[in-house]
Amino acid sequence: MSLAVDASGRDLRSVSTELKVAVAKGLVIVQKAAHLHGLAAGLKSGQVIVEGDSGNYLGVLNDGATICVEGNAGRYLADNMTRGTVIVEGDAGYGVGQYCYGGTIVVNGNAGDFTAVMNKGATIIIRGNVGDEVATYMLAGDVVIVGDAGKDLGNYLIRGNIYIGGKWESLGHNTLLEEMTQADVAKLRGYFDEYGIEADPMNFKKIVRLSEKPFYK
Amino acid sequence: MPPVNGTFCVTVMKDRCINARMPGKCAACVEVCPYEVFAIDGAGTVRVQNYNACVGCRICAEFCPEDAIRINPAESEFLVRSPWTFPQVEEIHHKAQTGEYMLRGFGTMGYAPSFDNITVVPSQIASPAPRDKYREECNLEVVIGEDACENPIRMRYPFIFPAMSFGALSREARMALAIGAAQAGIISNTGEGGLLKDETWLIKGYENEARTLSRWEPGGYLVVQWSTGRWGVSADYVRAGDGVEIKIGQGAKPGMGGHLLGAKVTEEIAAVRGIPVGSDALSPCRYYDVQDLEDMRRMVAFLRDVTDYKVPIFFKLGPSRPYADVKACVEAGADAISIDGLVGGTGASPAIVTQGVGIPTVALIPPSVQALKDMGVHRQVKLFVLGGMRSGLDAYKAMAMGADGVGFGAAAEIAMGCRACMACHTGRCPYGITSQDPELRARLDPEEAGGRLANFIKATAEEVKILTMLSGHDDIKDLSEEDLRATDLNTAAITGLKLIGYEKRLPWWEDGRGS
Repeated sequence: MSLAVDASGRDLRSVSTELKVAVAKGLVIVQKAAHLHGLAAGLKSGQVIVEGDSGNYLGVLNDGATICVEGNAGRYLADNMTRGTVIVEGDAGYGVGQYCYGGTIVVNGNAGDFTAVMNKGATIIIRGNVGDEVATYMLAGDVVIVGDAGKDLGNYLIRGNIYIGGKWESLGHNTLLEEMTQADVAKLRGYFDEYGIEADPMNFKKIVRLSEKPFYK
Repeated sequence: MPPVNGTFCVTVMKDRCINARMPGKCAACVEVCPYEVFAIDGAGTVRVQNYNACVGCRICAEFCPEDAIRINPAESEFLVRSPWTFPQVEEIHHKAQTGEYMLRGFGTMGYAPSFDNITVVPSQIASPAPRDKYREECNLEVVIGEDACENPIRMRYPFIFPAMSFGALSREARMALAIGAAQAGIISNTGEGGLLKDETWLIKGYENEARTLSRWEPGGYLVVQWSTGRWGVSADYVRAGDGVEIKIGQGAKPGMGGHLLGAKVTEEIAAVRGIPVGSDALSPCRYYDVQDLEDMRRMVAFLRDVTDYKVPIFFKLGPSRPYADVKACVEAGADAISIDGLVGGTGASPAIVTQGVGIPTVALIPPSVQALKDMGVHRQVKLFVLGGMRSGLDAYKAMAMGADGVGFGAAAEIAMGCRACMACHTGRCPYGITSQDPELRARLDPEEAGGRLANFIKATAEEVKILTMLSGHDDIKDLSEEDLRATDLNTAAITGLKLIGYEKRLPWWEDGRGS
């Protein structure tokens, strides 16, 4: 069973109150919600589909829900998520998956600058290209970029892995290009199979931290 | 280890010292000093081995059974050629030797305009008569978020324990703050270091996790901090608080984030912060997920949404441009604003920043209050003033200038047992407050320290009550600038208070002010 929530002309509180009740009953389809920022915040379970585009901070603090956007997502997608899955069919703006502790984000289009900044454990997969300063200050987790990256990829990397299929303009401070292991290839293959991504893990490169102390020369 | 605040002269009086008389007996000073100032040799003889390591915390003197130890600043032994004071000379040597700048904990050491040059005006015949402290009532309660949320915070006293994180503070100190706040009925703020499970039930006055044994009345309020590092932050964390504070900055290092070095990220801290053991916990200087005030407004909106519109949203500001900053907080949707002054404390910060960056606390209040008045929300959006607050007298002055309450950070640490030696950044707090060392932490009993905190708050509240009633009021909300006078020109110029003798505000305060 699916429930439709029409958000046109309504404010966050009114839509969110309806959404919180509806997700307990089944799949929820939210319509015309591009003007709402912070939609589907902090949900512990449930399935939400956003028809069309979404605003900023979609799925912030997500703690278990599965959220799909059929169009493009705004800035700060799935900010500070701890569990759950967020999938975007189109592009996502600046700052995808910042501060996340866990869960999975898949962007089928391109993603903006400062994606995965301070990622602390989430899996963030971008099928297209990403902007600058991706995975800056990352502490844990995997960032997978199927396309190309901009400047300062993995700047001040603390922990965690970056996998990239395309090219990059420049690598950031404290990064190291490392050989892909069989485990890495298997992991990527798992991601690609699960999210229907056509790419060959063998062509990917892996970037990790250079030293344990990123902040001192 | 370089000297922290200049050096100290440690004198052991041989005629009193047990060890001097009977080598091998008594080494209390060696045991309690975390800085290895004293040493014991194979024969059991204690001697002072390193003057330079002494931070002046005086714990050795306190534990010496014969009162044989004297600690004095070493400066008096030397000719001081201002500005080349002893700490300044030592600081240059430190930089020359190591190539690193000085770190300092606790707060600023220098002079800043303070509340000391303000006096309280009592009530006599021309104003409403004084109130009787014994028989008559005086309202000290502060309610936060009454109009905006379902569960407003009703503090018994107008005081908060401001943000001090687990990591900067020991687990025991965090627990003590929760117990103290529970007994006093006030707020304790988690700071940005994540939430200890114990805090959530201690703050409500329970002595066990199952919340079956109620012990401390009336129960306090826990405010969880939402910061630029977002340590241990999840939907559950945000919902665990009676309020959420969005940290913009702090007094000791405004414009800087925080940085807990990898070496200090122990297993326990890593678990609470949700990061790998030994990894650097860097709190960036700004939010990467906020680019303008509109984003900040949206952040407030989703935090309200995640907490089901139940709890108030706080903002914490460093001392910068108070008028504009406070206005921006109100525009973003704050229910309460804490503004921290130059003398505000910290676990560790570059010494020059602690010392010389930001506006002194007393000068923050008039523009902050003016901003609230201009927005039409004074006394509705609550203003808390932090940074060097010491007593009910300081608190009263801040509140008469228009604040709704004050925060006691350093004073709370001192109430727990701290001797203000300013060596928090070494991680070797002799009293177990700002250390993660199990041996040092064991020196702090959370229950005892919590009781001391509650006593301090109750006594301070009594002081505020005395001052409120002697100036003819029965509610702290009725206090005004008329209840204060500046005792010197400088303070009158900074604060807009009437100058003693002149009995008027200085002229430029009369022709409008603000931004």
